[in-house]
Amino acid sequence: MKLLRRSGATRSACLLAAILIATSTRMGRGQQAPFSGSSRVMMLDGGLPAIDRGLRDQDLPREARNRAANIEIVDRSELPLPYLRGSVIVKFKDGAAQNSMASALSQVSGSPTTRDAWADFDIVDIPPGLDAESAAAMLRARTDVEYAQPRYLNHAFSKPNDPLYANQWNFPAIDMERAWDIQPGATSAVIVAILDSGVAFRTTTLRYNSRFAFRLAPGGPRYPPLGIVDVPFAAAPELGASGSTRFAAPRDFIWDDELPVDLDSHGTHVAGTIGQVTNNGIGGAGMAYNVRIMPVKIIQSLWDEIFSSPNEGTDDIVARGVRYAADNGARVINLSIGRTEGGPAPVVQDAMRYAVGKGVFIAVAAGNTKDSGNAPNRIADFAPNIDGLIAVGSVGRTLEASYFSTTGPYVEISAPGGDQKQGGTSAGILQQTLNSDALETYNLPPSQYGPPKADEFAYYYFQGTSMATPHVAGFAALLMQQGVTNPAAIEAAMKQFATDKGAAGRDDVYGYGLINPRATLRGLGLAR
Amino acid sequence: MPRHLLPILIATAIAALAASSPAFAQAQRLQIGGYAMAGGINFAASESFDAVLGSSSGSFFGGGGKVGLPWFGLFVDIGAWRFKEEGERVLRADGALYKLGIPVTITITPLELTGGWQHHFRRGAWRRLTPYVGAGFSSYSYTETSTFATTSEDVSDRFSGYHLLGGGEVKLLKWLGVAGEVAWTTIPDALGTAGISKEFGDTDLGGTSFRLKITVGQ
Repeated sequence: MKLLRRSGATRSACLLAAILIATSTRMGRGQQAPFSGSSRVMMLDGGLPAIDRGLRDQDLPREARNRAANIEIVDRSELPLPYLRGSVIVKFKDGAAQNSMASALSQVSGSPTTRDAWADFDIVDIPPGLDAESAAAMLRARTDVEYAQPRYLNHAFSKPNDPLYANQWNFPAIDMERAWDIQPGATSAVIVAILDSGVAFRTTTLRYNSRFAFRLAPGGPRYPPLGIVDVPFAAAPELGASGSTRFAAPRDFIWDDELPVDLDSHGTHVAGTIGQVTNNGIGGAGMAYNVRIMPVKIIQSLWDEIFSSPNEGTDDIVARGVRYAADNGARVINLSIGRTEGGPAPVVQDAMRYAVGKGVFIAVAAGNTKDSGNAPNRIADFAPNIDGLIAVGSVGRTLEASYFSTTGPYVEISAPGGDQKQGGTSAGILQQTLNSDALETYNLPPSQYGPPKADEFAYYYFQGTSMATPHVAGFAALLMQQGVTNPAAIEAAMKQFATDKGAAGRDDVYGYGLINPRATLRGLGLAR
Repeated sequence: MPRHLLPILIATAIAALAASSPAFAQAQRLQIGGYAMAGGINFAASESFDAVLGSSSGSFFGGGGKVGLPWFGLFVDIGAWRFKEEGERVLRADGALYKLGIPVTITITPLELTGGWQHHFRRGAWRRLTPYVGAGFSSYSYTETSTFATTSEDVSDRFSGYHLLGGGEVKLLKWLGVAGEVAWTTIPDALGTAGISKEFGDTDLGGTSFRLKITVGQ
């Protein structure tokens, strides 16, 4: 189960696994050469470029998937002035008389300082109480002054230039612009494994066999088998080029091969929050935008079920995925998945201990059940027992806990995961992912139902602890790059510098509070 | 014993010692001199300085003036010095210390006012040596600046405390001498409210220093 909330009608069934209706093995459209049932064949490696369908901000909010305070906002009045107090920059016109310059300075109660090298202007000290912009304006009004201006402060341009960044409230909410000043997106030395529904990392065409009819809900319309179909995939333009070194050691545990492509959109969205290409003038931004991404598919999508994938996202598959990532160079693992049904998951817990023991930091979603019984995520509820594994809750745009974010003693930290009940569609987390119109044809009437296309993309607002978790995984990657390599230390640092919310200290809603990447990355001086 | 009483007691002791010593008979004329000094300090907040600067000690340079009073061998001294070192901001987590590669500059500029007693040997092999002890008030200017900091995140503050010192001056010429001096300073509650000093529980900005002085004057 992916911990993203979607409308129940369309997907209530993540489902339908239970109601796959076995039918005759007759082939439907696209029937072609002999084909093994529970397998797939690569028909074409490469293909047409991905199609970008743009921002989908008019779509209805998708519920965070689940089956299952007080606001603390940066006080803008405390922000420093954009210029230094107590001095201004002045350039007098050539030939200005000494007494004229003295008159100008006296006008602003100023005193000249020694001219610095490589400067054809002067710095004039003015009383600290005198506004520098007003003083500069007074000087500019004089005929003997060529120009005068405050000493405006410059800084690194860490605000991404991606046009949709303006819609990504989640990054300014955790002070990422100043965090990127310190650690701009990590580097390719850090590999972040995304254990999810797959990632749109490769342009290819895969042949599947849809052998069964199904209903999405009891009594609902019957969708026929499609037979053998060729499904086009493309690498998400905002994640990286197909076949590039951006993607490391891909592995699909659902299909037992090395093509963990995404037939869902969840994993690609999660991957975007961690590593969406940033400062490229396109789309949006990601937390740790220079890392390498390891796509590891450990949960199946509806399409994978329709195509009869040989495996499903069971605890053992999750555990194998965790171990695989640890053994293949991942430094951070993101698990925006989980389950609320059933008992403990010692196999997953053991795998996580193994990974953390190999120096891998793991972020796992707390769950989306707060409004539906608050059952814990069973692959996260042991997080407090493992230093280096952290369970992540969600806050919305107001930085209050999201309505769906599961609470409990295992919640350790919070991050933006959206809350579309408190702000509509745009209060979700925006990332590029697969275009649902082309992908989710099972949401159409059976007469329009057809094979999916996984080569079209758009920008969607999702909500869920699934969306909060990659903020923490990306944050961990930045810390790794900054030299904090021990998973337990990363967890401790995140907690130490978190912005406390809710009840003082750790609480069951926010854990230790909202992540504060900038403060953590900046660390401590001697006295402050 | 309250901290603020200690300098008073020490000053009283020095005065009593001076009054009872042979130097009592050494009532002199006013002696005025100056000095330049270099030294090293071992900070009391050793873990904190070591974490940020890579060492709990460092060197400094300074100077001052000294006036020998015409009574009982007493003197007053006013001196200032400057310590400036660059280090890195750090993160302490899970029992380990991580250097973050973010430059931080620590500048300490103490101003010290000392009163004390000095003994002038009149005869024999020790006549060039003038041992002295003193105590006084210290005012430390402390600044901490680092990359990526906003103005409000840098530190610029002044703290006060007191010091005890002792040393000896050897006259090389009538107007030129060298002196060696050891000083212990405490600047309580200057640190420990934030930063790595809070992590380590270090609150004292003072330390023990050794100074080598070149003195001029009588």
